[in-house]
Amino acid sequence: MSMLRQIVIVSALNFRSLRARLWQSLVIVVGMACVIGVLLSMLSMTEGLHSAYRNTGDPRDVFVISAGALWDGAGSIPRDQARIIMDTPGIARAPDGSAIADPGLYVNVPVRLRKNGARSWINIRGMGPKGELLRPEFHLVAGRMFHPGSHELIVGIHARDQFQGASLGDKMILPDGAWPIVGVYATGDLRDGELFGDTATLMLSVRHKVYNSVLLRLASPDGLSAFRKALKTNPALNVDVMPLHEWNEKLIADFAQFMRIIVYGVGILLAIGALFGCFNTMYSAVSARKSEIATLRALGYGGFAVAVSVMLEAAMLSVAGAMIGAAFAWSRYDGVIDGFGSDIFRMIVSPAMIGIGLLWAVAVALLGGILPSVQAARRPVSDALRAT
Amino acid sequence: MGETLLLRSLRYLPLVWAAIRRKPMRAVMTLLAVTVAFTVFGLMIGFSATIDGVEQRARADRMFSSARFGYDDGLPVAVAHRIAGLSGVRQTTVSSYIPGYVRDQKNHVFIGMADASYVKVFPDWNVSQAVWDMVQHDRTGIVMSRLQAELWHKKAGDSFTVIAPARTKADGTTSWTFKVLAISEDFPLAPAGIILGNYDYLDKSLPPDKQGRVNEVDLVTSDPALSPRIAQEIDRMFANSSSPTQTEIEKMALAVSNNFGGMDVNLLTHEIALAGLSMILFLTANVIAQSVRERFAEFATLRALGYGDGAVIGLVVLEAAVPCLAGAGLGVALAAFLAHHIQSIMPPSFGVPMPTMSAAVYAGAVASAFVLAFASAALPAIRLMRMNIATALSRRA
Repeated sequence: MSMLRQIVIVSALNFRSLRARLWQSLVIVVGMACVIGVLLSMLSMTEGLHSAYRNTGDPRDVFVISAGALWDGAGSIPRDQARIIMDTPGIARAPDGSAIADPGLYVNVPVRLRKNGARSWINIRGMGPKGELLRPEFHLVAGRMFHPGSHELIVGIHARDQFQGASLGDKMILPDGAWPIVGVYATGDLRDGELFGDTATLMLSVRHKVYNSVLLRLASPDGLSAFRKALKTNPALNVDVMPLHEWNEKLIADFAQFMRIIVYGVGILLAIGALFGCFNTMYSAVSARKSEIATLRALGYGGFAVAVSVMLEAAMLSVAGAMIGAAFAWSRYDGVIDGFGSDIFRMIVSPAMIGIGLLWAVAVALLGGILPSVQAARRPVSDALRAT
Repeated sequence: MGETLLLRSLRYLPLVWAAIRRKPMRAVMTLLAVTVAFTVFGLMIGFSATIDGVEQRARADRMFSSARFGYDDGLPVAVAHRIAGLSGVRQTTVSSYIPGYVRDQKNHVFIGMADASYVKVFPDWNVSQAVWDMVQHDRTGIVMSRLQAELWHKKAGDSFTVIAPARTKADGTTSWTFKVLAISEDFPLAPAGIILGNYDYLDKSLPPDKQGRVNEVDLVTSDPALSPRIAQEIDRMFANSSSPTQTEIEKMALAVSNNFGGMDVNLLTHEIALAGLSMILFLTANVIAQSVRERFAEFATLRALGYGDGAVIGLVVLEAAVPCLAGAGLGVALAAFLAHHIQSIMPPSFGVPMPTMSAAVYAGAVASAFVLAFASAALPAIRLMRMNIATALSRRA
């Protein structure tokens, strides 16, 4: 009899007797459901936040900020330096021949969350004449665009939903008075949790004399190193130059590492707990079926087939549990909009993440099932038969 | 019988021990699984305990004023003088910070540069007046708390150089070299530790157009009840000035609901702890049920010998309680051990509150262990109460 055939027959026999061992088998299913449910629920937040940071902007977008600045607000680029940066060769040109670059302004304003009234803050960014060209994904969904030079703001869809007083028609208090929100926009990235206003007008309002950064688009993605060199060697400037996505990664790096340690730490601990549970279950399953296994062996079925069938059973139960856990996490969190401070993002439970969860389940089952399966295969036939 | 529950339990212990030893592998695996679940429990509930502790320790009579539109730009130092003149304000202090890095841009560091009255506003930050006097007299002096000193491998007398492009000096350089004058003890409000230096040194080193500004004006009021009114008064006073302020009372700023960007951390940690426990409940319940099933005849014998319902149930509960309680103890101890070592694997200077194994965490673990034991023992115990002794004895296991 071929090995494969043996494995199929013995496994089929196992699964048929599963009902008799229902409650024990549920230990593995419930265990893995808890592990993967918790793991994916926590990951849905970190992955959602991370992907919001990663997906912002075009690959040709370059971010220029004061050297060593750790966040947008810490940057300081005077007007004359912004001019030099925007005159540097290598920047993509608009139809009128001007550089596609937008000196940025970043202001945060205290606000409260809608859901629990907790204190938070909202980012208001300045948008200049080239702002929309640099953000092709930007589009209005309600109201109208602010008029350049006027005291008006537009709000991102997520910011509108998350923060008190940020709806169309509401007014934001800025140093020189109340600014009405005249439009609602969507970009599909982190900007959805922020507001935009006219850069020059905002600067007057908040009395900033300098820009925080310059966002620009290169004519070609290969132009980065030459462009960076031109800025770095200019004695009038002291700036960092990097692709926008790299800046975003940098902003989130420490937090992402912290979250990974927490999420995977808790996940691994729980998985170890499930591993012991799996071991226990398979161990008693093997001992409950002692005589059955011995009979099979006496009939000529190989020890290997028996061992594989035990592992298969463990893996199947474990994967079933993981799928329940994944279904829970997916139905509860996938697509839910959440906020972390001023970052508003969409939580994600992606097929790839569910795949990772299933791999964990298989790994736990194999590790937990290996000793019992070896034991099942090794036990001398005569002993096992006598034991009944 | 006047015996206490404890005494009776002790008398049953040899019986329970014998039952557990029947299947040593199963007992060990169960214990390990319970231990792991309680490690997660300890870390999660311990973390909750820490942030609750921060909220409890936060003071209602202390508040922070900063620039409403752009913390980094700061406020003119004159704002502090006007705040100090308000009635009900007992003490004010000003501070700015130096954001920089050590050697590599990845090694972020923040140094708070404060004036002479800082320790009077923050007496709970464990920097003594004597040490602070030294910092105020030695312009480049700093005091580091133990966590920061360990992170940067510094001791009193060492020098400490920070690159801070955001604080370019008047001479155009961005490198700041300090002298570590003393090491202070850490405290729960600053989980990553602190470094404090001399505000005057920072201010006088900056280009003239950047001098005279502060990131924060911190103050204590003479009565916590006055705080909300004073906070409003400060913000109203500067609302139409060139430097509007945002004043927050420490108690509010450090409230759990405000602490994690609006995330309900307590709910999250409790849910994770609960998930771990439910996972384990299924396991222990099964193990006990199995163990009772295997020894049905044994229990029937006990009944035949005259052991009552209570005694038999007690035996089963005790058998469940041993791994639950032992696992709870081991698990929380392991969590306490891990909590000590988490900081070392976290990104440098990332302020993560460490879980504290407070008495409440241990009490919660013991209570959960009992619930776990009772829940696991319930079904098997009911089956034992309903058993027919004769049938059970005849059905030799």
